Order: sequence, then C-alpha cells, then structure tokens
Amino acid sequence: MTALVTPVAQSRSSVRAERPQRMRLSTQRRLTGLLLSLPALALVVGLVVIPIVQAGYYSMTTWNGITSTWIGPGAYTQTFHNPAFWQVLTNNGLLLLSVPFALAIPLLIAVLLHERVRGWRFFRSVYFLPTAISWVVIGMVAERFFAYQGPLDKILGTHTDFLGNSSTALLSLAITFVFSMIGTNTVIFLTGLATLDSTVQEAAFVDGASRWESFFHVTLPHLKRFVQLAFILTVISAFSALFSLIFVMTGGGPGYSTTTMEFFVYQTGFSQSQFGTAALYGIILFVMMAIVGIGQLKVIRSE
Amino acid sequence: MSTLSVPLAPPAPPRSTATRVRRALLFLAMVVVAVVMLYPFWFMISTSFHTEAQYQSGHGSSLSSWTSLTATIPIGQQLLNSTLICAASIGIILVVSVSAGFAFAKLQFRGSQGIFLALVGAMMVPLQSILIPEYVNVSRLGLTSNYLGAILVYAALGTPFATFLMTTYFRGLPDELIEAAVVDGLSYPATLWQVALPLALPAIATVTVLQFVQIWDDLLVGLLFLQNPSERPITVGLAVLASGRTTSVPLLMAGSFISAVPAMAVYLGFQRYLVRGLTLGVGK
Repeated sequence: MTALVTPVAQSRSSVRAERPQRMRLSTQRRLTGLLLSLPALALVVGLVVIPIVQAGYYSMTTWNGITSTWIGPGAYTQTFHNPAFWQVLTNNGLLLLSVPFALAIPLLIAVLLHERVRGWRFFRSVYFLPTAISWVVIGMVAERFFAYQGPLDKILGTHTDFLGNSSTALLSLAITFVFSMIGTNTVIFLTGLATLDSTVQEAAFVDGASRWESFFHVTLPHLKRFVQLAFILTVISAFSALFSLIFVMTGGGPGYSTTTMEFFVYQTGFSQSQFGTAALYGIILFVMMAIVGIGQLKVIRSE
Repeated sequence: MSTLSVPLAPPAPPRSTATRVRRALLFLAMVVVAVVMLYPFWFMISTSFHTEAQYQSGHGSSLSSWTSLTATIPIGQQLLNSTLICAASIGIILVVSVSAGFAFAKLQFRGSQGIFLALVGAMMVPLQSILIPEYVNVSRLGLTSNYLGAILVYAALGTPFATFLMTTYFRGLPDELIEAAVVDGLSYPATLWQVALPLALPAIATVTVLQFVQIWDDLLVGLLFLQNPSERPITVGLAVLASGRTTSVPLLMAGSFISAVPAMAVYLGFQRYLVRGLTLGVGK
C-alpha cells in the first residue's frame, strides 16, 4: 500500500483485502466438511441405502438367482396368504413377550448392585461378562442346557428335548435371549442409578416412604430414559440379533416354530434360493424396525 | 444419636441386626445371580475336560479335547482371520467416522444436517433387510472370495453408530479451539489431525471396543460373505461345526472358550469404554 492513500481509502482497501481471505476460509471449511463426510456417506449409501432400494425392487419379483419375473405389489398379497409367514410373524410377536423380562430382571439386578454390598464391583464385572462372548457360544451352551437329559431335564426331573419340541422350543429360545440381554441392560440401568441423587431418595425415606414406594415414585421415574434405551435396544435385538442363537440352537425348527423374520430371510434366500421372496421378508423386517423406531421417536418427542 | 456418645465409638445404627441380615440376604442374592451368569463359562470349561464318551456318561475327565483341538479345528488360522477382519473393518470405521464426525460437528456445510440424519438413520436398517441385494452385489464384484467383502460389510454396518458417536463427541469440544488453530494458520484437515484427534482418543477407544466385540462375535456376515472356509473367523468356524452336529461337544466347548478369551480380555480391560458407548445419548 502506498503512503498516498488516505486513511479512509486505506481502511476500505484493507476490508477489501480481508474479505476474499475470509470467504476463502469459509469456503475452505465447507469444502473440507463435505470432503471429510464423503467416505462415510459413500460407504453407507453403497452398502446400506442402495441395497435397501434394490431389496424393494427384488421383493416384487420371483427371482431364484437365475431367472426373474416381475410380479409387482401382488408379491406382497401372495405372501400374506402363506401360513408360514404368519407363523413367523407370530413368533416375532411372542418373542416380544420376553422383553418385559429382559428389562425387569436386569432392573432388579441393578438395584441389588446399587445397594453397594461388599464386592459389588466384582459382581458387576461378573454380570457383564457374558456380554463379551458371542451369541454363537451362548447358543452352543444353551443347546446342551435344553437338550434331552441335559442340565434342565435334570433340574426339573423331566425327560424332554426342549429344543426338539415345538411347544417348548420358542420358549427356550426366549429364555436364552433374556439371559443374553441381562448384562447389557443391567449396565444401562446401573449407569442410570449412578446418576440418581441419593438425597432425593433419603428425603423420600424421611417423608415416611417405604423402599417400595420410593422405588416406584422416585427411582423408576428417574430411570425413564434409561428404560427407554434398554427397551429399544432389546426390541431391536429381538428382531435382528437372534440369528446366531437360532442358527446354532434350532436352525429355525422344529418346523417353523423358532423361525423369526430375520432367520426367515436367510432360510428363504440361502436354503431355498428364493431371492425375491427373501428380499420381501427383509422389507417386512425393515418396516417392523421402522415402526419401533418411529414409535420410540414419538415417545421421546412428546416429552 | 445422643450427644453424649464418645466421638471415637462407631455410631451404633438402630436395628443393626436387621440391617446385617438384609445385607447378608442381598449378598446371597448376588451370589446366586453370579452363578447363573457364570454358568456358560463353567459349562465350557468343565465340558472341555472330558472325552465325548465321558461327557455323555458324566464320569471321568480327560485332556484329549485340548490336545487334539488344533488338529481338528484350524484354530490358529481362524483366530488370525478374526483378528485381520476386525482390524481392517475397525480401521475403516475409525477413518470415516472420525472425519465425518468432525465435519458434522465443526465444519457445517450446506446439507450437512441432512447427510448426518441420513447416516444416523441407516442405523435402523438391519443387515437381514438388505441381505439379499448385499450378497448379490458383493459377490458380483468378486469380493466374497477374499476378506474384502466381509470387511466392507462390517465397516458399512458399523459406520452409522460410530459416526453418531464421534459427532456427539466433537460437538462437545469448544468451537474456539478449532477457530484458534485455523487462525494460527492450520488447514482444517491439519486441525483435525493435530488438535481434535488427540482430544478424541476416549471416543475412538469406545468405538474400537464396541466394534471389536461386535465383529469378533458376529456370525451372519462371516457366514455369507466369506465363501472360502479357510478365511472364516473363529466364531463362524465354530457355528458351522456346531450346526453340522458331528464334532464332539467337549471339543466344541474348548474351541468356544478359546474364541471367547480375546473378547473377554478386551471387555474386562476396557469395560468403561463399552459402558460409555452403550449409554451414550442418554442425559447425564
């Protein structure tokens, strides 16, 4: 800048000199932001979003891996006439009945741990330990546990093959599922209890509330968001994480008595090579999950 | 408490016997729960020290399933496969989720909110819903005949939650920190690398531990996207053996125990990161 420029001009020109710099910085920021988010976006679009669109298309065809015929939305009405489909859907519904147990038992355990009895840290680790092992491994142990003349038969004094019997197979699966969820849900509730202000509880006691009353009127309302989290996690798991257990324990049988929608997709696609129908079941599963997710969002928003 | 009590004497709580009985009962209840929760481990270990015949009859013990383990199940190779697949998938997940998380939290651009929501929304899509097209696409690209197919699928499935977690974490860092670095002349990528990344190590640990346990323990992806049996991870190898129902139970249990050790070690060592990941998003 020359000395001839008046102060006014000088300040004006310095603004002019600064503006492109600032513009460049914000452009740079936006551009970097876009570029940095692209790899994640590409990965998820390529391997999740595009396939879900494809699944929607496949679901309306009779594709067996080699030949494919377009049926259109009629494929769905055809499915609704398939009794196996309804049995599978019923199994999913019945498994939902295990969700209260998968929440209540961990809640009780968390409350026990929160009493901070001697060694509670050790017990906490022990209770969470099964969470680390694969449901494949849990399923293998459970298969022996429920087997004919297995440990459960000995405990109950019965002679039943619990997994081979269509009236007890799903219940056995549900019990294994509840067991598998205990560690995760206990930790969620325990984290929630740790945030509880103990003075509030003491105040309740001073006011003459019983342990029971203080639990239902102070503790439980406080844990609401943690219960919601455990609930959604448990329902998602019931719908989409049982594959390992079913694969190892029953293979979906006897008949369709332990086949859930997620296993039905695998079975239909890879045992029967009906890719089109399998894709359709996948879409149904997606809709089920979406209903749970949207329901959950509504509950959270309404608060 | 009376004001006359000697300060050093322990305060005698009223109904101390009742309290003591209550504590003892609580302790007993916790022991009972511990027995139930440890049952799978006890079953695996005790069963593995039998032969098949001994397991059926319930008498005697033997080391045979441990000595013949490596001859029957390619456990070394499978552990290596698991490690390789976990490492590669987690590597990809970390790179894409850290950079995307930083972008969504600190480098807002037009549409960043929408892209973020779309990515997080992908969490609601279970693999089974897209299983058929995913399998067809990946095998048409020839990726099921090597590790790459499974690695990419794991990476894509893990990315939405990891991105959500990283974004939440980076949002907690003050904007001034980033601005100061940029004013000092650092480019945005350099700011991420030199300023934000070192601060994000706890979140990175959380993502790593969560994903490790998840991928190590998974069955479905490894079962379908690794067509070559010699590339199977240990969990998949065991599940396939178990479903064949020809392998002896003690042997399977020995293998299961081995497969569980790394995940248990990671879990016990990094428990607090797992817990943080599980309860993220719930108010404090």
